[in-house]
Amino acid sequence: MAAHEILAATNAVVTLDVGIPGIVWPWLVTVNMWAKSIGTGVIFMLFLLLRQYPEKAGSLRFPVTVVSIIFIHIFLLFTLADLHQPFRMWHIFFHPHWSSAITVGAWMATLFVGLLFLLAFLSFIKKDNAAFDKTLPWVVALAIPVTLYTAALMSQCTARELWQMPTESAQMVLAALLSGSAFMILVFGGKLGWEANRTLSTVLALSAFMSFVLYMAEYVFGPMKAEEVAAILEYVKGDGPFTVQFWLGQWMAYILPMLLIAFSRVSKSESILKLAAILALVGLYIVKNVWLMIPQLLPMS
Amino acid sequence: MQLGFLVDLHLCMGCKGCEIACKVENEVPLSTWRLRVKYVDVGTFPETKRTFTPLRCNHCENAPCERICPVSALHYLDNGIVNIDKERCIGCAGCVMACPYGAIYIDPQTQTADKCTYCAHRIASSMMPSCVVACPVQANIFGDLDDPTSSISKYIQSNQGNVQVRKPEKGTNPHHYYVGGGNVTLNPLASFRPEGYDLFGKMTSKMPVGGH
Repeated sequence: MAAHEILAATNAVVTLDVGIPGIVWPWLVTVNMWAKSIGTGVIFMLFLLLRQYPEKAGSLRFPVTVVSIIFIHIFLLFTLADLHQPFRMWHIFFHPHWSSAITVGAWMATLFVGLLFLLAFLSFIKKDNAAFDKTLPWVVALAIPVTLYTAALMSQCTARELWQMPTESAQMVLAALLSGSAFMILVFGGKLGWEANRTLSTVLALSAFMSFVLYMAEYVFGPMKAEEVAAILEYVKGDGPFTVQFWLGQWMAYILPMLLIAFSRVSKSESILKLAAILALVGLYIVKNVWLMIPQLLPMS
Repeated sequence: MQLGFLVDLHLCMGCKGCEIACKVENEVPLSTWRLRVKYVDVGTFPETKRTFTPLRCNHCENAPCERICPVSALHYLDNGIVNIDKERCIGCAGCVMACPYGAIYIDPQTQTADKCTYCAHRIASSMMPSCVVACPVQANIFGDLDDPTSSISKYIQSNQGNVQVRKPEKGTNPHHYYVGGGNVTLNPLASFRPEGYDLFGKMTSKMPVGGH
């Protein structure tokens, strides 16, 4: 018998229970995911641009590395800020538990930071572009699991059925592609020229489209596979507490950027592209925040 | 040895003696509970009844909290208890999120995760958990599941067909059983939770837990 049928039959009401923990992973974790998406996404985009437009993108080696270092450090800072015992962070390195996605992620992120500093050294101190280009594929390869590990962590949260592998891992990669391309258009678009901007906007539009399809698939079909998912998605349907934020995020991160990019193709307007990039970056934060919060509202006991 | 718990919900009368005994024994701070008794009212007046369900850590064989803990602060003891080392905990709250039973919380005093340990310190001294001792109707049955002559094994044998665990579909293999439970008592989605209706309504705020 399904829970809603039990409810109708019994009219059962919880009349005494102690406080539910509520939001355990707050907005700090949203910033964590958002900043990590940008930090890894710009590395993906640098790799793409150096392959397709080596002359235009050559001068971006050091600036993009710096951007990635900054955003990865924002990610690490907010990860640390979210810990209730931040001064014990070193336990992850001296008492690692390898079945935990947090441990694996922390080690990979540390290695990733080391490689980013190596890239900065090669591009700024040594000025060795050949060595930089040889190292970059390894950094890109590591950026993939770094951006994915939060999906693994979320999927380890049993009973938060909304967070499932492999959907979350696809969303994390798409978020990195979306935010990376949006950030490059916004900050470096002026230096790159129209053709490179067009390539970046294609990445932005396709990742926005795929993300939107995944969210809508979850929105429509999710409730059919588990009653927890159905209950969680009620928070973004009808008069749910996150309905407005959910649709605001979907429009800002995905629908409007896709429309604006199509419009910019016709008008060849870089300003419209930049507007699409800003909307995508802001919208991504909202989308991530909604998806992080709603499973936490569900009572577990 | 595999220690386990069984609660006979036919016997529980919701006195909350176990809750208080647990609080005192483990010095559980205000606003947090290692063990709590949930009341669910069923039916429509005048055909109503109240059910009582003690809720605590299920000490799962395949514990998601143990798996997600990045520093092994949550770990298995040889007797099957899922124990916590609060000195090692970094307070990431991964275990709070991973537990499908909502049994783990962040201790506001130590800023570390905490939960029921089946009173592991008492068991180490061959004593029963404090909630078992406090229960006036012996609704809490505790013992070794591997020993067919233990009281819990005998209780399970004599109540076959009426022994349940919470959320078996999650694959956690809980070592905490209920006799006389049903969907209303064991499934959190099978009852309404009107906001502000319960005794501690004002404490169920959506504010972040702990220091944020």
